[in-house]
Amino acid sequence: MWQVSEIESGHLQELRRGTVVLACLLLLREPDYGYALLERLAAAGIATDGNTLYPLLRRLEKQGLLASDWNTDDARPRKFYRTSAEGAVLAAQLLEDWSALTRALHELDRPGKGDRR
Amino acid sequence: MTATLTDRYIWAVQRSLPEQQRDDIDRELRGSIADAIDARVEAGADAGAAERETIVELGDPYRLAAGYADRPLHLIGPALFPDYIRLMKVLYGIVLPIAVVGVTLGVLLSQPDSAGEVIGAVAATAMGLIVHLGFWTTLVFAVIERTNAGKPLASAWNPDMLPDLPATGAVRIGEPIASAVFLLIMTVLVLWQQLFPFVTDDRGEGLPVLAPALWTLWLPVLAVIAVLELAFAIAVYRAGRWSVPFAVVNAVLALAAGGILVWLFTTNQFFDPRFAAQLEIGSLVAPGGVLAVVFAFVAAGVAVWDIVDGALKTWRQRRPVASSNAGRTSTVS
Repeated sequence: MWQVSEIESGHLQELRRGTVVLACLLLLREPDYGYALLERLAAAGIATDGNTLYPLLRRLEKQGLLASDWNTDDARPRKFYRTSAEGAVLAAQLLEDWSALTRALHELDRPGKGDRR
Repeated sequence: MTATLTDRYIWAVQRSLPEQQRDDIDRELRGSIADAIDARVEAGADAGAAERETIVELGDPYRLAAGYADRPLHLIGPALFPDYIRLMKVLYGIVLPIAVVGVTLGVLLSQPDSAGEVIGAVAATAMGLIVHLGFWTTLVFAVIERTNAGKPLASAWNPDMLPDLPATGAVRIGEPIASAVFLLIMTVLVLWQQLFPFVTDDRGEGLPVLAPALWTLWLPVLAVIAVLELAFAIAVYRAGRWSVPFAVVNAVLALAAGGILVWLFTTNQFFDPRFAAQLEIGSLVAPGGVLAVVFAFVAAGVAVWDIVDGALKTWRQRRPVASSNAGRTSTVS
């Protein structure tokens, strides 16, 4: 039976791959730092690991989709990321696409559709 | 003061990062690790265990650094892999055999003392070539992968690059015709060099190319083999397809003709000695001479190619070519 769950987790991973980017762009309209974002994502039901998220934040920053500032007010300096204007535009596009896909898939799932014989 | 697990981990990550990223990532990663440890301690874990678990969760530092630096975790990615494999097939399927044949000829020409010497030299060169072709090609592709950021090479694939289907098995009329033409040309050449010699000695007397002694035994034998080759080609054509018995007969005929010619060349029984002397190639066609080796090598090569060709044709015929799937392409619209 472990083979079935192996296959399942492979497909789930494939399906979820792009969602972390979209979730980050949406969540970071309110600035936050790495570890807190990790927890907010987990609380929102979008689980990811630090070793995926931390490099991802840097990559999005390099692409101009996120901006960052160091906050040194606390004893522990933290790098706060927030969604840039381009990032917000992209997030809107991605969300639109995600919704369209969701509608399309539910349409296919309706009885009588997609199983013409 | 001994370094903590966190210090050692961050150092391991930084080690393979570009200089200008190091300090920033150091600060951020240190904070993230501390946050994660704090969360675990708050949840009731022991401080040492919390640090260890956090580090375990972050995983292999090389992998994390590759994520930060946007570095691939593979040698050759999917964009380049098809070109890589195609090139490797050409190198190992064409360049390597040609190089091995060339080296074999070179070793034979250097007048080796024994067959073992030839085999040893050729095997050593072949091994070296196999390693070098593979290593340097892979290295170049790995460098392109890292500098070109995974963009495909200029040669985008297109349908013209599709290979032809293997021949469907019908033996073409060309083979018996080629065989007959070959037999005819050989007959004419053998008679012509004897009846109308084109090389004359100092007194103007014609000198045939072939040693006169050949007429008593070997030329008739070779003629019989040539006629058998023609009969064989006709038989294959009439049968319409190659089979294992045909491949065996083909190999026997090729071995017989090739073996006789190699033996005649290497023992200097092929050319008329007066002809060789007149052209001043006597030492070249003598046993071990350059021409003797080259001619014997070519005769052996032709025989080997003939045998391989017959075997390949037989083998291909065992795999029927996919046919008539046309009706099943699109029934759902």
